[in-house]
Amino acid sequence: MHALQFWIYDTLRAMKWAKPFMTSRWGWPFCETVHFLGLSLLVGTIGMFDLRLLGMGRRIPIRALHKLVPWGVSGYVVALITGIMFLATEPDQYVFNPAFHWKILFMAGAGLNMATFYLTVFRRVRFLGSGDDAEVPAKVIAALSLFLWIGVIVFGRMLTFYRPADCGSEPLSSISTCIPLR
Amino acid sequence: MHPFFVWLEATSLSTWIRESTSVLAFPAILTLHTIGMGFAAGLSAAVDLRILGFAPAAPLLELRRFLPVMWIGFWMNAVSGVLLLIAYPTKALTNPVFYLKLFFIALALVGTRFMERSVFGDADRDLKPAARKCRMLAIASLVCWTGTITAGRLLAYTYSHLTSLQ
Repeated sequence: MHALQFWIYDTLRAMKWAKPFMTSRWGWPFCETVHFLGLSLLVGTIGMFDLRLLGMGRRIPIRALHKLVPWGVSGYVVALITGIMFLATEPDQYVFNPAFHWKILFMAGAGLNMATFYLTVFRRVRFLGSGDDAEVPAKVIAALSLFLWIGVIVFGRMLTFYRPADCGSEPLSSISTCIPLR
Repeated sequence: MHPFFVWLEATSLSTWIRESTSVLAFPAILTLHTIGMGFAAGLSAAVDLRILGFAPAAPLLELRRFLPVMWIGFWMNAVSGVLLLIAYPTKALTNPVFYLKLFFIALALVGTRFMERSVFGDADRDLKPAARKCRMLAIASLVCWTGTITAGRLLAYTYSHLTSLQ
């Protein structure tokens, strides 16, 4: 597993385009700000859609509220781009950070959950009009979506508190959670 | 430094939040602050976008139903924000950016109150295009929440004194 980590680490380190901007006075703070704005847009619009599926604001037709989903996607893209810029600048702070592993896991879960939504229940759910209740599988997916995105925020916040230290002479475990000597 | 900061930072609550290695201290409070931000600013933004004409077929009045969740997010942040302030009073209160953040929040709250009256107080508002005044309120709300998040994020990079204690 840590062979993959090394490969990711080297790939990220080769992305030199991000560094000059990110190490300038306001580069990192600017990206942090944009990352949080994207996060809010994502949680606000996707979260609202999930809450509607769960039964809140039931008079809103699903199709009408779905028009806000592209805004959530753009929030996600903005957060993804700034996120990659953090990774490219300080790869070892993320690749060997257990909180980051969980964050990626939850992001993958949220992605998979979204794919499941569009491949299965969306076909029927999109025709739900004013006052219609969503079917149980759709509600499960909506609840999972809220849980997973909140989890992504939690582990994103935990990054700072689980910064990896140098491994020293410790033998590496299957996933390295300290920065190995190269 | 002001003696009040010195006193506050020496209280057991302030010390615990700042110095405890427990994940329930500073990390959990900061995390709650971020989740609350997502729901308060995010749901406000979603309502603003609807007022501005995106998702036009969504009955505006019904968006009212999401406001309680928005307010839960807001109060989560008021409480966690006060706890963070108790942990680091010098850091926040000696930084002009912190007052800018409070200013944006105050403005956003006034705007939301106006919106609750003018947009959600009019039963006929539902599907007709939002009036000019409502659109201005929506734009102001987006500006205020963007300002709040920006100022809040910059707090980590603009403070001049971390604590008054040595």
